[in-house]
Amino acid sequence: MLTPTSPTLADGTRIDDLVNLATREVQMRALSDPEIYELEMERIFGRIWVFLGHESEVPNAGDFITRDMGSDSVLITRDKSGEVHVMLNMCTHRGMRVSTLDAGNTQIHTCIYHGWAFRPNGDFLGAPVDKEQMHGKILSKKELGLKRARVTLYGGLIFATWNIDGPSFEEFLGDAKWYYDMLFLRSDKGLEVLGPPQRFTVRANWKAAGEQSAADGYHTLTLHRWLGEVGNYKKDDGGAADLSPEMYGAEVSSPHGHALRCIDLARKIRKLTGKEPNDLSLEEKLLALPPSGMTPEMVPQLKKHLSDGQLQALTWMPPQVGGIFPNVLFGFVYIPQADGTVVGSVTLHAYVPRGPDKLEFVNWILAEKDAPAELRDKMRKQTTRLFGTSGMVEQDDSDTWPHMTLAAKGAQGKKMTLKYQAVYETGKPEGWPGPGIINEGFTKDDTQWHWWLYWRQLMNGEI
Amino acid sequence: MSDFQPGQTVPIGSPTYNRVLEFLYIEARLLDETRLKEWAATLAEDLLYTAPLRETRPVSQMPASYVRTTQHFEDDWRSIQGRVMRLTGTKSAWAEDPPSRTRRLVTNVMVEQGDKPDELRVRSYLLVTRSRFNFDEFDLISAERQDVLRDVGGTFKLARREILLDQAVLGTPNLAIFL
Repeated sequence: MLTPTSPTLADGTRIDDLVNLATREVQMRALSDPEIYELEMERIFGRIWVFLGHESEVPNAGDFITRDMGSDSVLITRDKSGEVHVMLNMCTHRGMRVSTLDAGNTQIHTCIYHGWAFRPNGDFLGAPVDKEQMHGKILSKKELGLKRARVTLYGGLIFATWNIDGPSFEEFLGDAKWYYDMLFLRSDKGLEVLGPPQRFTVRANWKAAGEQSAADGYHTLTLHRWLGEVGNYKKDDGGAADLSPEMYGAEVSSPHGHALRCIDLARKIRKLTGKEPNDLSLEEKLLALPPSGMTPEMVPQLKKHLSDGQLQALTWMPPQVGGIFPNVLFGFVYIPQADGTVVGSVTLHAYVPRGPDKLEFVNWILAEKDAPAELRDKMRKQTTRLFGTSGMVEQDDSDTWPHMTLAAKGAQGKKMTLKYQAVYETGKPEGWPGPGIINEGFTKDDTQWHWWLYWRQLMNGEI
Repeated sequence: MSDFQPGQTVPIGSPTYNRVLEFLYIEARLLDETRLKEWAATLAEDLLYTAPLRETRPVSQMPASYVRTTQHFEDDWRSIQGRVMRLTGTKSAWAEDPPSRTRRLVTNVMVEQGDKPDELRVRSYLLVTRSRFNFDEFDLISAERQDVLRDVGGTFKLARREILLDQAVLGTPNLAIFL
C-alpha cells in the first residue's frame, strides 16, 4: 500500500514537523500560515462532514438558506418531497452565485447573470432562449446541474461532505455518537432553532476557536473568572472566585477529534434537592434536574430514546460542552437563576474559516420543539445574554483568539508551540457505562491533543 | 415603532428637541468615557433593549431583513444591570479590559410624540468607531436606534431601545459595549 508523504510547505517544512508527537506540541505557525490554510480547505473542509445548520431553518418545500462550507458558499434547500439538499452556490455557467440572499423560498433558482435556472434539488432546468440552446450541445442538461454535496440529517442537524464515497456520518462520529445521541436524539420531536443564527467576524484563525471547542475546560478558570466574581455562580470564598470545583468530571476524546466534557451534577442536585445524589433514584434525579432544555414532563421521552447506560451518564456526568470536529461547539448547560432554579441553554456554534486570519462566528440558539413557550423564552434570553455576539461569557473568548493569531505571525512566535502536556493518568470513572476514550478528574489536555492528531492525519492525507 | 412620516416630528431646534439631543449626547459621552454606572442610572426599570439580527433579503422582502426571533441583544433593566456589574464590579471582564476606545457619533435625530403623554419616540443614526489594543483597523458599528424616552420629573429615562444594525455579519468580535 502506498504510504502518503506528509505535505511539504514552500520552505521545506512538512506538516509532520508541526505536530510533535513525543512532546505533545503544535507549532504556532499552524494558526496563521496561508499555505496551511489552503491545504485545510482541501483536505479537511473538502473531505469531512461539515456542520451547516438545522433542518428547522428550511421547514417548507422551496425554503433555502445559504451558508459557507469551508471557503465555499453552499445553497441549502428543501425540495417538494421534503428532502434537504446541499449544493455549491455557483452557477455551472459562469460561476456567479446562484443566490446572493441569506434565505428565502423558491421552486426555481434563477441565476441573475444569464438566467440559467435550477430546481431546489440542483437539477438544471434550462437557459433563456430555449430555441438557441444557449447551454450548448457538448454537455447534457443532466451534467449541468449544481454541484451536489452528500447530506446527512442527524437529529435535524445538517451535515454535508464533498467526499461522496467517503466514510458515513456514523463512522465519522465513531464512539462519540453514543454521547451525542444523549443530546440530539433524546426526545420525541427533537430540537429546533429559535431563529436564524447570530453572525459576526473575529480576526482570528478558525483553529484558535476550533481547538478550544475540543473541550478546553481549563480556560474557564481564568478567562471566564468573572463568573465566580459576580452573578449567580458567585463564590463565597472571600474574592478568590475559584471556579476549579466546576472543572471536575470526565472528558471524552475521540480519534476523530470530537470531544465532550461530562461535568458532575452532584453539587447541583444536592443544592436543588438538599439530598445526597446517591440516595436518589435515577428517576428522582431526572425529575429534580432534567437535562438542559427539558422539563420534568419530558422525562418519560428520555427513557424511550436512550439506553439505561445513557440515562445513568445523563444523571451522573452529562455532556455539557464540547465539539464536533473540526469547527463546531455545542453547549447544553445549566444556568443557575437568582431564584434558585436552573434554566437550560442549548447552543451550537460553527467557526467558519474566512482566510488564515479571520473566522465567522455563527451561533444558533435551540430548544426542544415541544418545550413550553415560557421555557423557550427563558432559554433564548439566557443564551443571548451569556453566549454569542453579546454573550457575557463568550465575548472574552472572541477577544482572545485574535491575539493568538497575531502572535503566530511573528518570526519567532511562529516557531513557538501550543502545548498539550497536561495528560490524564486516571482513565474511565469506575462503573462508567459509555464507550470511547474517557478520563476522569480535573479537565486536562487530552481531548484537544486528539483534535490535533486528527487534524494532522487529515492534513497528511492519511484518511 | 410605526413607519416614519415626514411632517409629524417635533420641530428641530425646539426646546423638546434640544432636550432629547442633550440626553443623547450626554448618553454617548457617558458610554464613551465608560461611566457605565452613571449611564445605567438613566434607564427606566421597564426597559427593553434589543438588537435584531439582519438578513440579506430582496427588496420585496425588506421586513424579513429584520429578524426578531433571535437577536444580538435581548435585554431588560435587570440584565443590563448585570452586564454593567460584570464590567465594573469584576477584575476579569477581559472583552473590555483594557477598554475599547470608542466614539459614538449620533446624528439624524427625529423626535415624535410617543404613545403616552410623557413619552417621546426618538430615532437616531449611530456610528460607533471602536478601537482595540494597537490594531490599526477600527471596528465600525452603524445602526439606527429607535428609542422611547420617558419624562420622569423633568429628566428623561430610556424606556425602550431597538438597535437596527446595518450589517448581516457584524464586523466586530463581540458586543461587549452598549449601543
